[in-house]
Amino acid sequence: MNTHGKVTINQLPTGVPGLDEIVGGGLPEFSFNIIAGAPGSGKTTLAHQFVFANATPERPALYFTVLGESAIKMLRYQQQYTFFDPAKLPDSIRFINLSQVVLEQDFGAVLEAITKEVKDANPAVVVVDSFRTMVRKPQSDMELQTFIQRLALFLASWQATTFLIGEYAEDELRDNPIFTVADGLFWMSQTVERNSIVRKLQIIKLRGQDSVPGLHTFRITDAGVQAFSRTFGLTARKRNPPSGRRLSFGVPELDKMLGGGVREGDSALIAGSSGTGKSVLATQFIAEGVRQGEPGIVAVFEERPEAYAERATSLGLDLETPQKDGKLTILYLRPLDLSVDETMHSILDAVQKIGAKRLVIDSLAGFEMALSPGFRADFRESLYRMIFALTGIGVTILSTVEVDESFTEFPFSTYSISFLCDDIIRLRYVSIDGQLRKIMVVIKMRGGNHAKDIREYEITSKGVVILGKRLTNYQGLISGIPVRSDRRDSTEEPSLDTGIEHKI
Amino acid sequence: MTIPPEKQNLTHRLLAFEAAADKTSEPVESASLRVYEKLRLSLCALAGVAAFQSIAFRALTQAKSGAPGLWAVQIAADGSLQGLGEFDPQHDEFEPQLGSGKEQVADGGIILIDHILDLLLIFLGEAITINLLRNTWPGASFDDCNTENGRKS
Repeated sequence: MNTHGKVTINQLPTGVPGLDEIVGGGLPEFSFNIIAGAPGSGKTTLAHQFVFANATPERPALYFTVLGESAIKMLRYQQQYTFFDPAKLPDSIRFINLSQVVLEQDFGAVLEAITKEVKDANPAVVVVDSFRTMVRKPQSDMELQTFIQRLALFLASWQATTFLIGEYAEDELRDNPIFTVADGLFWMSQTVERNSIVRKLQIIKLRGQDSVPGLHTFRITDAGVQAFSRTFGLTARKRNPPSGRRLSFGVPELDKMLGGGVREGDSALIAGSSGTGKSVLATQFIAEGVRQGEPGIVAVFEERPEAYAERATSLGLDLETPQKDGKLTILYLRPLDLSVDETMHSILDAVQKIGAKRLVIDSLAGFEMALSPGFRADFRESLYRMIFALTGIGVTILSTVEVDESFTEFPFSTYSISFLCDDIIRLRYVSIDGQLRKIMVVIKMRGGNHAKDIREYEITSKGVVILGKRLTNYQGLISGIPVRSDRRDSTEEPSLDTGIEHKI
Repeated sequence: MTIPPEKQNLTHRLLAFEAAADKTSEPVESASLRVYEKLRLSLCALAGVAAFQSIAFRALTQAKSGAPGLWAVQIAADGSLQGLGEFDPQHDEFEPQLGSGKEQVADGGIILIDHILDLLLIFLGEAITINLLRNTWPGASFDDCNTENGRKS
């Protein structure tokens, strides 16, 4: 009993990576839960994970099978998952078939059979799979609800945490009397969106718990079900206050333009058309971080990590050694049906593993393409959640984005995600003296001074090198087709604006 | 279908355990029947009568080709064996090299159990099958069992 006299509800691990956070810390002990969903949505696998995570010889799990999938086939397939420990059978996990009782007798006999086994085994966990098979027996709604009520009461009294598994269509969830009895209702679904399968999990209700609302994506791998919280598991974490520290790009002139570098914990964007050096700058940013002892993550979507590191080598930047030393991880994320949440999970894992301070996403266009089509519609919203979550724990994010080069406009991003970024650096081509040259300008720095200068740069064997001083003898540079003016190149140092944020 | 020696060892171990547990000098077919019955009860509890009956029926069909003594055996609705012990006089007459009718029945019982265990190993893998046997025969030792089944265990 706690100090306020309120009952303490213990939370049991679900055994499903990511799900504990979604259900609010763990599954309430002695709760009576229903896992509902379409066939193939992972209901049985989720229940098995819970069973394997909690069953002990002293407090075993009883897994009642009822028609549906044969226990032999179920075991044949389930043992392929890494969580499946055959040594737990039968001392900790016992499978009991109730098909005959269900087929030949009434609910009373089914309850009696379950009662007998529960009394004998004193289980901590009870699963009935598939419960829906029983529901299909001809009987009145009242009989069914009475049976469920008695089953729930009995199992709770015997201090068992229970899962009933059933195949249900989404429209059957409404006004279903069975679901009113349940303490927890887990809804698992899978839909085909274009050519990709999208699996989602929703905790429709969970009594006594502050579960994370909404639809969470999940994946079924050889490790079983893995859930990805919409909040990326970062809701409970305290946001780090801004440190005010500036992170260098490793390009001194650019650092000056940024008022000393990118502010720690910012989300910065480098926008430019193809070949303007976005990835080169991003590579320099991550390499400089590693050089200064700040571990980094590079999430690449358009080329393999080996190719990325090789290209860095051609710029005189060594990304191989820090990878070997655990100071840098290059993540290649392109299975084409990712959800943002899964991508985030991979990135977060990597961030936590090496204590990363800098993250490069190269590029947002590649990121979007790697997502399942169904998630692309929510790309901006997902990106917002991701950036908010990561910068909140002090990670500085540098994203690259390709924008269509126009000689009449100066767009910052085709994704309209500028509002998500604290800092924006724009790279572009300009036509000067019969040459296609490159210019760079800092468009925005939230909460800090930055140069207003438009600077010419080149991509050399040492990466991006900013040339000379700001270009003062041209007008209309950002149009891409400047007109020569009478003024000569300025010799002034980069001028910083007053810190007033540009409205983008 | 030939049963690998490792699985035959498993069958003989169960039969030996049953024979030793029963102090009387019962014939081998009684021991194999007891092994079958224990397997039946154990598997029916695990997977249901229908699942066990399917496996037993498949095993019997396979076993009959190599065990004339099983010619009259059938699987009942509850998975139990019917007809074991009925001799086929034709086989006694024309295939004396297979031994007497009783010997053929005894051999048949062993072959049937071999096939059941083989199917269990195929479907459930070694680890779960051995755990199942360990649970069914708590006093028997299976620690050194290695069927080299090749499936995940």
